[in-house]
Amino acid sequence: MKQSDSNGETESATPRPIKEGKIERREVLQGLSSLPTLGLFGYSLCRQAAYEDAQDRQRQPTSEPTARRPAIQVALLGAGAQGEVLLNSMLRIPGLYVRAVCDIWTEYNLKRTVNTLKKYKIEANGYEDYREMLEREKDLEAVVVATPDFWHARHTIDCLRAGKHVYCEKEMSNSLEDAGQMVLAARETGRLLQIGHQRRSHPRYQHCYRKLLREANLLGRIVTAYGQWNRSVKPDQGWPKRYAIPEERLKQYGYPSMAHFRNWRWYKGMGGGPIVDLGSHQIDIFNWFLGSPPDYVTASGGTDYYDPKTHEWYDTVMAIYEYSTPAGKARAYYQTQTTNGSQGYFETFMGDQGTLVLSESEAAYSGAIYREVSAPAWDEWVRRGYITGPKVQTVRQDSQIPLDVRESVSPDEHRIPVHLTVPYHQSHLENFFQSIRGEARLNCPAETGYETAVTVLKVNEAVEAHRRLSFRPGDFRVPS
Amino acid sequence: MKSETVLFSPIQKMALALLRITIGWHFLYEGVVKIRKPGWSAAGFLLQARGPAADIYHWMAENPDFLNVINEWNKWGLTLIGLGLMVGCLTRLTGSAGIILLMLYYLCNPPFVGYFYSLPAEGSYLIVNKNLVEATALLVVVVTRAGRFFGLDLILSGRSRRSDSNKQQAIAAVGE
Repeated sequence: MKQSDSNGETESATPRPIKEGKIERREVLQGLSSLPTLGLFGYSLCRQAAYEDAQDRQRQPTSEPTARRPAIQVALLGAGAQGEVLLNSMLRIPGLYVRAVCDIWTEYNLKRTVNTLKKYKIEANGYEDYREMLEREKDLEAVVVATPDFWHARHTIDCLRAGKHVYCEKEMSNSLEDAGQMVLAARETGRLLQIGHQRRSHPRYQHCYRKLLREANLLGRIVTAYGQWNRSVKPDQGWPKRYAIPEERLKQYGYPSMAHFRNWRWYKGMGGGPIVDLGSHQIDIFNWFLGSPPDYVTASGGTDYYDPKTHEWYDTVMAIYEYSTPAGKARAYYQTQTTNGSQGYFETFMGDQGTLVLSESEAAYSGAIYREVSAPAWDEWVRRGYITGPKVQTVRQDSQIPLDVRESVSPDEHRIPVHLTVPYHQSHLENFFQSIRGEARLNCPAETGYETAVTVLKVNEAVEAHRRLSFRPGDFRVPS
Repeated sequence: MKSETVLFSPIQKMALALLRITIGWHFLYEGVVKIRKPGWSAAGFLLQARGPAADIYHWMAENPDFLNVINEWNKWGLTLIGLGLMVGCLTRLTGSAGIILLMLYYLCNPPFVGYFYSLPAEGSYLIVNKNLVEATALLVVVVTRAGRFFGLDLILSGRSRRSDSNKQQAIAAVGE
């Protein structure tokens, strides 16, 4: 009689005496037979990593051999969420060396960022105090500022005066006086100051502005514009309790508490609320595409949903601007609300010949233009590749309901065939670093950032004033 | 032992080993990708949780202390489980840990009646989705102790089996 063991092998009914610990050679070989799959895995992983690296390199603009140029030594000032986003983009730009990182949250943000850089084999020095960084890091050529709005002016001005070029996140400042000082500092020092309205360098926005609006004038006379950023409810930012910043240091840097430090965007005197955080990007596009800053603003807003004690700025804002554009009067409506993310964010420009809908996001509304039926044919622009061929809007054949005589026929949809294949901020940072090398001009210099800051910060004033506020032409310029 | 008497033909053993290795490969690559990606976090996945346990997942994502732990456990858990399964080492332990992980993923977005995944999925699921299928496949790996088939567990179990067998023989000898 034979009996089988777990391996399906047959053994004699009378077990052979087995020496303890001794294993048959066949078992050892069989036991080890899975190991080569690890080798196969390692080989596949290397191939995949090489493929991903090659893809990354392809996405980076390599119009010129970058290796021959000396690397720009750059520091990141402010290593929070936005700093991390910018850093991720910077790491994809050739010819940069992130020499230093500064953040007052040394226990967490600073440590995390320095460690992230180590993974890229970049040895960056970490600092709590930016003045010490400027003092010690003599070779720095540029600083990327991603601190809370109320610190922007101080950080930017001190960096400019230390001879560094500065990329400063929007909003330029929560105070117009401070923003004005930033413009003056850039002028005085002759250093570059780019403000982080990154859509200014977005290839789709540039294509729409230069080709579709200026060259082809596909919209005709723009009379109305609309923009929105709808965002879902978000809990307040927390923090790991054991890594909390000591109270003394918080006070030293102007934060009453850790909650203020983490959620500064909601507090007056620190940020500007959603209209500034979100709206600023899109209202900047109103000014850019309409060709002038507005004359008036009317707005309504409030903290309608969140706790006003911890959300001093308005969670919901609706604003109407009145423009005198070079082509004539135009009105633009903008809304931001932070309690429902449906339909996301986009901007719409409506002219008498067409409608342009575009967004920074590739996910939805990435770019479409609709021709009014009365407008001249767009065949020429389709041929040139400025827009795609039309997707004809059809009326349902089975519909028994006749079109109302007052109803306009739906215009055909053309897509904008320009897409961003790099992270959102990368193009704008590239424009900054190319400008340092003298290969480009800033797409959003201090003066442009200031104009947008004036336009946007006035909304919060208009909400408080409960009336239509006017801008004077001089408001948008900083006198020398 | 009862399971020791189960007979598997060579082709069955190969199929079970293949199942173990492919699941291990999947785990290992998921882990390695997360380790290689600086700043990877489970927060996004946790935040879009829906279903009966959604609140727990949201709480995890919003609690930075906990999130840090989850991120590390996830990265290294996936990697170690993957390694264990691929080479067939401690398969019952690694496989069980893998089942727990998969069920945590499953419960984050269970395709129950009336629920749907917030991101477009590549297929259509009702109650059963790929996480559940993989967890079930892993259950087969665990209960058949598939690490013994072309895996290091063969060596490990051989050692312990022999040790047990010798002990039994010694006990029997003393009894005689």
